[in-house]
Amino acid sequence: MWKLLNLLPGRRRRMEKELERELRYHVDRRFDDLVRSGLSDAGARRQVALEFGGVLQVQEEVRDAWVWRWLSNGQRDLQYAGRLLRRSPVFAATALLSIALGIGASTAVFSLIDQVLLRRLPVSEPDRLVYFNWRGGTLSTGWGYDYLNSYPLCRELQEQRQVFDGVVCRHPTTVSLSIGQQPQEVRAEIVSGTYFNVLGVQPRLGRLIDPSDDVNPGGHPVVVVGENYWRNYLASDPNVIGRKVSVSGYPMTVIGVAPATFVGMDPLAAASLWMPATMAAQAGNIDAYWDQLLNRRAAWLHVFGRLKPGLTGEAAKKTLEPWFRTMLENEPSTAGFPNVSEEQRQRFFSSTFDLQAVPGGLSASRRAFQRPLWMIMAGSVILLLLASLNVAGLLLARGAARAREFTTRMAIGASRGRIAGQLLVESMLIALGGGLLGLLAAPALARVIVFFLPRDGDVALHIDGRVLAFAFLASVITAVMCGIAPALQTGRTPLVASLNDRSRVAAGGGVWLRKILVAGQLAFTLVLLIGSGLFVQTLTHLHDNLGFDSSNLVTVSVDPPANGYSEADAERVMREVLQRLQAVPVVERAAAANSGMLNGGAASTMVTIDSGRRFASDRAAARMRVGPGFFPTLGTQVIAGRDFDERDVRPPGDKPRAYRTVIVSESFVRRYFQDQNPIGARIGLGNRPDTKTTIEIIGVVKDFSRRTLRDEQVETIFLQYFDNQSGDGTFYVRIRGRAETAVSQIRSAVAQVDPELPVTLTIFDDQVERSLRTERMLASMSSAFGTLALLLAVIGLYGVMAFVVTQRTQEIALRMALGATRPAALWLIMRDAAVMIAGGTLIALPAVWALRRFVEADLFGVSSLHLPTIVVAGSVLALVGFSAALLPAWRAATVNPTDALRL
Amino acid sequence: MLILKILSLEPAHGYGIAQRVQQVSREAVQLNQGSLYPALHRLEQKRWLKAEWRPSETGREAKFYSLTRAGERQLALEKETWDRLTTAVQLIFNEE
Repeated sequence: MWKLLNLLPGRRRRMEKELERELRYHVDRRFDDLVRSGLSDAGARRQVALEFGGVLQVQEEVRDAWVWRWLSNGQRDLQYAGRLLRRSPVFAATALLSIALGIGASTAVFSLIDQVLLRRLPVSEPDRLVYFNWRGGTLSTGWGYDYLNSYPLCRELQEQRQVFDGVVCRHPTTVSLSIGQQPQEVRAEIVSGTYFNVLGVQPRLGRLIDPSDDVNPGGHPVVVVGENYWRNYLASDPNVIGRKVSVSGYPMTVIGVAPATFVGMDPLAAASLWMPATMAAQAGNIDAYWDQLLNRRAAWLHVFGRLKPGLTGEAAKKTLEPWFRTMLENEPSTAGFPNVSEEQRQRFFSSTFDLQAVPGGLSASRRAFQRPLWMIMAGSVILLLLASLNVAGLLLARGAARAREFTTRMAIGASRGRIAGQLLVESMLIALGGGLLGLLAAPALARVIVFFLPRDGDVALHIDGRVLAFAFLASVITAVMCGIAPALQTGRTPLVASLNDRSRVAAGGGVWLRKILVAGQLAFTLVLLIGSGLFVQTLTHLHDNLGFDSSNLVTVSVDPPANGYSEADAERVMREVLQRLQAVPVVERAAAANSGMLNGGAASTMVTIDSGRRFASDRAAARMRVGPGFFPTLGTQVIAGRDFDERDVRPPGDKPRAYRTVIVSESFVRRYFQDQNPIGARIGLGNRPDTKTTIEIIGVVKDFSRRTLRDEQVETIFLQYFDNQSGDGTFYVRIRGRAETAVSQIRSAVAQVDPELPVTLTIFDDQVERSLRTERMLASMSSAFGTLALLLAVIGLYGVMAFVVTQRTQEIALRMALGATRPAALWLIMRDAAVMIAGGTLIALPAVWALRRFVEADLFGVSSLHLPTIVVAGSVLALVGFSAALLPAWRAATVNPTDALRL
Repeated sequence: MLILKILSLEPAHGYGIAQRVQQVSREAVQLNQGSLYPALHRLEQKRWLKAEWRPSETGREAKFYSLTRAGERQLALEKETWDRLTTAVQLIFNEE
């Protein structure tokens, strides 16, 4: 390996000088000796030369001993390639930039995919962690996402020591945390006492939550803060231990700081605060007035076990099976078990469970990020391929132009491999240069990609060994893809022929290869154009699917119970805030509701309907609670019956009561009432035989999107907000003029009620935009890539056509001299372009067909094989392609035969 | 091996080695003087030889090669191989 040192320029120069001195000494000595032995000067000189051979050859052979031949050749090729690139800066810049973009984007996505999908939790032995999934009828009420279980079940699992070295439970939540300053929303985890110990996390400071904090419900007001929070908001205070903090309005004490490497079980939603499960009711902010810690039917915890070493998930499941069965059988006799139908009971007893390996933890964002990330990956790989094809085409073109250089070199003894190697070195230089540029651009590209993700997540570009390796590998593969065709192309033609024939420039074979490359580029372009057409239509359809006017709309969410208000006080605050909002001058209308919209979630419930005959809904209806004026504020129409009004509102101070009135959606009526009049019919929540149907339908409203813009319009019931507990919620405010101008007025209106109350204020258009981020990204990315691809393909097409024309000028001139018409000559050339475009289309259409499954899930309101889109995209491609070909073709057709043939 | 052997006796420069080979082998082995230098450099790159510049018998500076430890080991090794080969050949010829 130290032979490589001999490549260093300084060392190399010294070695050269010494070699010359050494050889000179030899020659001189021999000469002297020969003269001394009696030869004449001339004779001696001849004798030396005979004995010694050529000094240059010897030097060359000695150099081979210094470094491997291919390496020194490579070095020379590299210098040569560098000079060539400097000489054609436009070519170099295009090639470098397109490759840089491709490699930069795919490297950035790779880094994100690595974090989102591949990275393991930074805890000890994450491979032994399994996630307990109870599948089937749990008969529980859930708070949270994915597989949830109750706290008592979590405690029971901790006793299953034959399979687990430990069991941890956690509930992700958001709490308002104040440490002697303005309250701040932070992500937190409510955890079992075993949590840190079983995961093997060591404190950065103080101590972490342990089993002694997990004994008496409400008896352990302690929290652990994350190192990053401690640094950023507590100024790395070394005396933080023992500090009093307020969590959701409840006083707690800091006992320790968790290390920065550990951010909880969800690596994409970093937690800043941990509190024991025993404090969930007091400070957990799970739901208003939540007190379900010991309820066996309250599912709110994710349960993870650490398997004993060497135990497989399957074996552990088998061992746990008897415990699970016994638990199921005992359950109906525990307190709080609901009175259920026989069918539901059967479903409960036939439930199963499994243990899922979760070395990467559990993340709500993972699934949401997966598709967009893979789509971007596919996009950047396509871009990279296109760029490679383009560079390959350009290298081929240059190869054709340099054919004489190469044949001359081969004529004086260069091997084919030597010249192919030179071409590979050139493409390697372009690709590695592009890769380096791409790596520099990767952080910015990663930020753009993260911005386009459908929800927030703690992901960013991390350049580490794997990412660098990926970028390097991508560059090398690119280099090979760019360089292989031109390299194979060299030296195909017989030497003598190409040296003699000056008109054909020895590149006959190169042209069909270039044509194939261009056809490939056109195919990619068509696929991208069709894709962008589909995605742009999806975006428009989604905008239209909203069902109401989103401009000038603001939502204001407040959560008094999370800030220490009692139930009755919270309700008073809510009503007061609503009044204040309605009094703000720029506010046109304001109404209360229980939740925001377009954030992906929605509550749903089975219902029993009584319209002359009594029957249960065959699927769950979405439910939302809204106050009077909600529909006019949104701008949706009540199409039958009436809206809620003051008559429906529970008088202030009254206790929460059962729902009395409901407004249903158009689709609800379609499904359950067909042509009957729904007004006056009664419904009940739930589908048990004994469900009371006491809620009167007073109105029907047009369908609109609530959960996401992709909603198929599901049956929805709108209950009266002020019937039930109404201590927290979201106000919908319609503004006169631009929404942005009203923000401060709205804030001060809320502050008049309570300046300490945190307000989440969302401009609805932003929310719509946000929920369309991924779609927008797909639309803009495919459009941008499509345009870029079209440009690259057209350049390629034009290049080939121009080349063909110069090659065939004489032939055309001859044909015209013999009587061919101008259109015939034009067609002769255009035929080539037509073949390439048709070829590209023929490759593209099956590809579109094959890819349709891949994009279907991301489309809306348009099928993946939408014919008009395909036709339009194809026409655009053909039109642009033919225009590019027309210029050289026209030149060929207008050639003056006498001029062309004089040569 | 010849070069190593010659250098094992005393350090020498390229020209000296060429003369020596001719002398010792009584003109039987005609070393192509041109191919001597690539060989010397290869051996030097393998770290079997080391070289230094010092005045030669004519007073001019010349590059003197001498054996390194690794070179000595290599020589022993090659001599052993050679001995084994010649012994084997000898045995075959002496059988009759």
